[in-house]
Amino acid sequence: MTAVITATNLSKWYGNVLGLNDVSLEIERGITGLLGPNGAGKSTFMKLITGQLKSNIGTVAIRGRKVWNNPALFAGIGFCPEHDVFYEDVTGFEFITGLLRFYGYSASDIKERAARALDIVELTKDKDRLIRGYSRGMRQRVKFAQAIAHDPEIVILDEPLSGLDPLGKRKLIKLIKDFKSEGRTVLVSSHVLPEIEALTSRIVLLHQGKILAQGDIPYIRELIEAHPHMISVRSSDPRALAARFVGDPAIQKMTFGADGRTLVVETHSRDAFFGRLIGAVLEGGVEVEEISSPDDNLQAVFEYLVGK
Amino acid sequence: MNARKSIGEIFGFFFFLGRRTGKIRVFALLGLVPVALAVVVRVVLHGRSGDIAAVFTEILMVFFLQFYIVILSLFYGTSVVAEEVEGRTLSYLITRPLPKPAIVLGKYAAYALLMFLMVAVSLTPSYFIMNAARLAEPSLYLTFLGYLGVLGLGILAYTAFFTFLGAVLKRGILVGLVFGFGWENVIQYFPGSTQKFSIVHYLKSLLPYRPARGGGGRLALLLFKLEPTSPAVAVLMLAVVAGVLLALACWFFRTKEYLYEE
Repeated sequence: MTAVITATNLSKWYGNVLGLNDVSLEIERGITGLLGPNGAGKSTFMKLITGQLKSNIGTVAIRGRKVWNNPALFAGIGFCPEHDVFYEDVTGFEFITGLLRFYGYSASDIKERAARALDIVELTKDKDRLIRGYSRGMRQRVKFAQAIAHDPEIVILDEPLSGLDPLGKRKLIKLIKDFKSEGRTVLVSSHVLPEIEALTSRIVLLHQGKILAQGDIPYIRELIEAHPHMISVRSSDPRALAARFVGDPAIQKMTFGADGRTLVVETHSRDAFFGRLIGAVLEGGVEVEEISSPDDNLQAVFEYLVGK
Repeated sequence: MNARKSIGEIFGFFFFLGRRTGKIRVFALLGLVPVALAVVVRVVLHGRSGDIAAVFTEILMVFFLQFYIVILSLFYGTSVVAEEVEGRTLSYLITRPLPKPAIVLGKYAAYALLMFLMVAVSLTPSYFIMNAARLAEPSLYLTFLGYLGVLGLGILAYTAFFTFLGAVLKRGILVGLVFGFGWENVIQYFPGSTQKFSIVHYLKSLLPYRPARGGGGRLALLLFKLEPTSPAVAVLMLAVVAGVLLALACWFFRTKEYLYEE
């Protein structure tokens, strides 16, 4: 498949701070998830490919055309910024129509497109309210609407799901997926693995400005599985519980929590451990109050990958 | 979209937005000061048309020329670029198929028109209230148009300067304050050609200055040193200043990266 967005040896620094370090990446049609903790370089990358920043080293091109100071390119690109910022003193409808004016559409076309975009994000009812009075979810949706109102071929979404409630997230995920099914290219960033997972199987992991890993979900999952998991089990008798697991090959290490009621287990095989734990509970004599996984998050995976 | 249409669309968007902001309400209220003053002067100096004319000249020079258009241009001019960066809304503009200079020029034009309307709304009633006794004289209207024209030129020149500052500097408004109320207020009174390094010099050169009766106090003393440039050269200089600074602002905006503060 031909790459839609091509970054070659892209580096960007802000004074002494490195934003992006020698990133080479080809983004194809469909949804690509850009995953990384805060400060990983996701927004820098997105700003570089939308011509908001100029790279210090390397090049970025969309369909082979350079991005920086090439406004004609933006007729086919929709960008949803990360920050919750707007021209606050306008209504949702005025905001969308105002920005649509910059594409050279006729007045009737502008109104039609704005109405359609607001309908897609389910803001038709509130289109005449000032953005200042919108809830966080509505603001996020109107921000998405301005990115798709001109029917772009490429949509770049910087943390579009942040601040949304679960229902809002589900709706927006569906909208983004619909875009993919129309044959468009979508690049979406997030620092939450399940969010990206819900959107796409194609992931790029960024950390400290560098690409740490890229591939599909099974590959990333494999990396996570290879990473020893910490599982914390709160029990009325953690020592008795620990005794059941002594010599268990699925367990690398066991320690007791400072509160004297928690057993912290390190395992390479979560499934095997949970099987044994259920068995122990069913056999009786052990009461489990709470199970948590303190490192079951993206940061832990990153730490593992960085340390690898 | 071609550059002209882009400028037109940006102009339309920001002329519309500009009318919605709280800033316009504050500055429009400020514009009521000379109107209120005109009513007071008209009542106090009833029947003394010579004195009224002198007071109006002072209002024109001190309030409109050296304060109102400067403060308006400072706030609107620097905000052409800076408000987009500080408000982080720049992303909405520069990811559109618009040439970057069109953004600067369109916003500049929109804000210049808004300011001109505010000045006109303030100048018109204050002028005609104070000159109510001479409403039948055609020269009254010509003079009024002349004043309006000079203030309009002032807005164009000052706004271009402050737009340039806003495009180049992070805190352009501070440098603008020093320029608008420091440099401009001092340098215009310097003898010889030094005063020609101020915008206000060329604006004053276009106005028929009438000193207040009895020497006019502080203002007349200061203005005594005005060595006017010919009107044609003054207009040309103002146009050159506005044109060159706007071109520079566009060039900076096109080539510079604007980073949001985290």
